[in-house]
Amino acid sequence: MPLIQINGKAVHIQELNKGAAETVVMVHGMFSNLSVYYFNIAPVLAAHFHVVLYDLKSHGMSERSPGGYDLDTMSDDLLALIDGLGLGRVHLVGYSFGALISLKTAMRFPGRINGLAMIEAPDPADDKTRGIIDDYSREFLEHYISNFTDTTRVQMGKRQLERNHRMYEYLFYQTSIKQDMLAERGFFADNGIRALIHQPLLIYGNRSNCLQAGYFLAQRIPGAVLQEIEGDHNVPVQAPEQVAASLSQFLCAEVAMV
Amino acid sequence: MDTVTTGNQAAATAIFDLLKQFITEVIGEEFVEEMDIQPSSSFTRDLEMDSIEIVAFSEKVKAHFGEHIDFTGWLSGMDLDQLINLNLNDIINYISVCR
Repeated sequence: MPLIQINGKAVHIQELNKGAAETVVMVHGMFSNLSVYYFNIAPVLAAHFHVVLYDLKSHGMSERSPGGYDLDTMSDDLLALIDGLGLGRVHLVGYSFGALISLKTAMRFPGRINGLAMIEAPDPADDKTRGIIDDYSREFLEHYISNFTDTTRVQMGKRQLERNHRMYEYLFYQTSIKQDMLAERGFFADNGIRALIHQPLLIYGNRSNCLQAGYFLAQRIPGAVLQEIEGDHNVPVQAPEQVAASLSQFLCAEVAMV
Repeated sequence: MDTVTTGNQAAATAIFDLLKQFITEVIGEEFVEEMDIQPSSSFTRDLEMDSIEIVAFSEKVKAHFGEHIDFTGWLSGMDLDQLINLNLNDIINYISVCR
């Protein structure tokens, strides 16, 4: 399992097609891990790009951390990862919380980011999204049950329930993730969003409860393009082929422009 | 013909033992002791492995068999149902064909 040290913590990374000229770094969402991209989406992008997947702190197989879940610190971590791998400019793809981290990183370090694609970025100020953590916890568990166990035949096994429960308990009760997310309520009002020089691709599920955030960002960010795909907030799991095709087409066009 | 079949079986058994070792490394010996890992065991239903554990397992397969097989590419061609139903035999057969 490849681990690298980033800002003093061990970070689990996976790389595909190392040696390709252009790199895409993919950022997963809260309570998820890099496997959301690994099986179906990353291999499609790896036909053209060096793809870097990493587990956010306290997620997947990365080391735990009690604090630093605000977007500034998360984007510092992402930049440190990019630097640590010796990469110059990269393309960024983020999903949900990972999309917010990607957006923040592009705003703070515009010269380091080429193409920017955001999947299902939620508005941290939204009342629905403010209950984000409770919603996500349910979705997270449902995601596992619906995708990696078969609910019609078997319930989630004892070991998996315990594993998930441990992560959930840790993140909610022993880290600052809740407070850090609440402190980001004003993020969509940040003038930096209006001033973004990237023209990002925004992908949302057409039945997603985050779709309004997509309309807002499409209107707010100059040159942003919104694509709706059949599905809800879990669209990368529900329609991985379509999501991968959209990302691939968008990022290949970005390369052509450069 | 018999020799070939026996040889194939021996190779399949060797791959099975190796995969079992990888699974033990990923999920830990204490859990494996309670399981009866068979070639027909499915990763999600029988072994209760989640997606990040399957990633770790895949990396071990790739690290061992290297360029002989395109394991990630093979997995990426599967839809969700196929991934859910994936068992050790599927992987043993895939590796045997590639070698």
